[in-house]
Amino acid sequence: MGAHMPRQLEDHLLTRRSYIEGIVRGYRNSLLTSQAYSNLTQCETIDDVKLQLGPAYGDFLAALPPNPSTSALANKLTEKLVSEFRYLQANATGSLAKFMEYLTYGYMIDNVALLITGTLHERDTRELLERCHPLGWFETMPVLCVATNIEELYNSVLIETPLAPYFKGSLSHQDLDELNIEIVRNTLYKNYLEDFHNWVNTNPDVRGTPTAEVMSEVLEFEADRRSINITLNSFGTELSKADRKKLYPNFGRLHPEGTLMLSRADDVEGVRIAVEGVSDYKTFFDQTGLNQGGGSAVGNMSGGAGGEGKSLEDMFYQKECEISKLAFTRQFTHAVVYAWVKLREQEIRNITWIAECIAQNQKERIGNYISVF
Amino acid sequence: MSGAGARESVFPTRQVLGQMKSKLKGAQTGHDLLKRKSEALTNAISEITRRIDEAKRKMGRVMQIAAFSLAEVTYAVGGGNILYQIQESAKQARFRVRTKQENVSGVFLPAFESFTTEGNNDFGLTGLGKGGQQVQRCRETYARAVETLVELASLQTAFVILDEVIKVVNRRVNAIEHVIIPKTENTIKYINSELDELDREEFYRLKKVSNKKERDAAAADIEREAQKKKDDSSNEEDVDEEGRMQMKDLLGDQDNEDVIF
Repeated sequence: MGAHMPRQLEDHLLTRRSYIEGIVRGYRNSLLTSQAYSNLTQCETIDDVKLQLGPAYGDFLAALPPNPSTSALANKLTEKLVSEFRYLQANATGSLAKFMEYLTYGYMIDNVALLITGTLHERDTRELLERCHPLGWFETMPVLCVATNIEELYNSVLIETPLAPYFKGSLSHQDLDELNIEIVRNTLYKNYLEDFHNWVNTNPDVRGTPTAEVMSEVLEFEADRRSINITLNSFGTELSKADRKKLYPNFGRLHPEGTLMLSRADDVEGVRIAVEGVSDYKTFFDQTGLNQGGGSAVGNMSGGAGGEGKSLEDMFYQKECEISKLAFTRQFTHAVVYAWVKLREQEIRNITWIAECIAQNQKERIGNYISVF
Repeated sequence: MSGAGARESVFPTRQVLGQMKSKLKGAQTGHDLLKRKSEALTNAISEITRRIDEAKRKMGRVMQIAAFSLAEVTYAVGGGNILYQIQESAKQARFRVRTKQENVSGVFLPAFESFTTEGNNDFGLTGLGKGGQQVQRCRETYARAVETLVELASLQTAFVILDEVIKVVNRRVNAIEHVIIPKTENTIKYINSELDELDREEFYRLKKVSNKKERDAAAADIEREAQKKKDDSSNEEDVDEEGRMQMKDLLGDQDNEDVIF
């Protein structure tokens, strides 16, 4: 808050922000603890899971039929996240409102990518609207369904969505047609991450605050994670190294040397060497045993050797959760909202995983969830 | 009639008897062959049943793993939209099936053979940002699952066809065993009895004829005897006057004409 602001107003704003922060911290406290998770893993049926989730999710699960499918369960859990997010968003003002908008852009990218896929294959995109992630919903999204060809869609995306800057300059409407949708999605995501990073570090309200500090760390981690994942996942596909390089965000702890080396990597070993400069990632690679050349162990929960063989993606999720957890140690920062959303998403994934394990009777891998509290 | 069973309506002749005998022989050979075929097919079907059992158990396991790997994908990607994207980006079948025929004891069984077309990787980039590895692994798991399904389909088809064929063969075996062979045997018996009958009739007739002949011959003898007697008596009357003649005809062959050279 600038010194030029009247004292009263500053207090008022602080109260406003404290209110939201308080709410978020309250939400954080309702996240499931290790104890709750271990209770969940003891369940025999989905109904038991539902019962265990009662205190945390209460009303949202009430409408579920007995023994619901795991996807129905996940939908309800997401619903709660969305409704809480909406409540925060409604109360947010100033830079926090903008911050929260930024949070939704990531989901918007997924939604737009979905609509592009639908339009490309000449499906009725209206049916796709309900498949879209509710956090990535924007008012003008139904307008995109009017478009029947990719050029119209491109134009309406440019006009109607906040994503326009991410399209402009890096993608043309021919690109949408010709490039693989995954490349489009990752290009957008890269632009989004860069923009977000730029915003937290330059916005006068945010710059220099704990928000900028925490969010820089989070976003840098996210950028590195994407770079590493893209590299690992592109082995054996038609994605060329030059195209791959374009998908790496231009910041992060790996940038620029690490990303340069990543862009040249041919195999898992190459990736390992590229990330060696950052001790965290090096540890991940060492722990997953990738340096022994086991290329198959990249995916999450691979190996089937139970809980000990954590995969790289597990490590990333774990790290993300830890960063998010640490964010709550800071005061007066927007980053708690981000951290809460991420933790909540992980929680939904965890519950879905546990429910899936129970439903499919595969209890031996049930412990693969990630819990930080 | 000989035998109460049914018989073919034929004329009881020796020629037909020959035909019937060869028919019986043919039927017996056919019966043996079919019986053996039926046994071979039964063996084959029990083998197939065993393999179906195995394949079904395997399918159970594989499908479970596959469903679980899908759960892994959902966990890694954190949403269901990936499924839609994969559905849409699959343009060409990568996993294909061709059929060929197998010959089991003269029965043609279609066998399905699965193969993957190389270099067809429609959604290789799916999950590039996160979860790509899982998607690929899930695909491999499902490919294996579908392979098992194809194997099972092939076995099931073979089972159904073999079952049908076995039924037909068994029906034929039974038909030959219980209908054709008894019928032919009956016919042969019938023909034999008819032929015997004819023989007996013939014999009787011949006997009759010979009796008659004998009787005729006896009558003729008697007549001749009578004639002789008559001749003798007339000779005795003429003994005196014909003593000389008798002396003269010492050889007693007065009936015989003198041979005049």
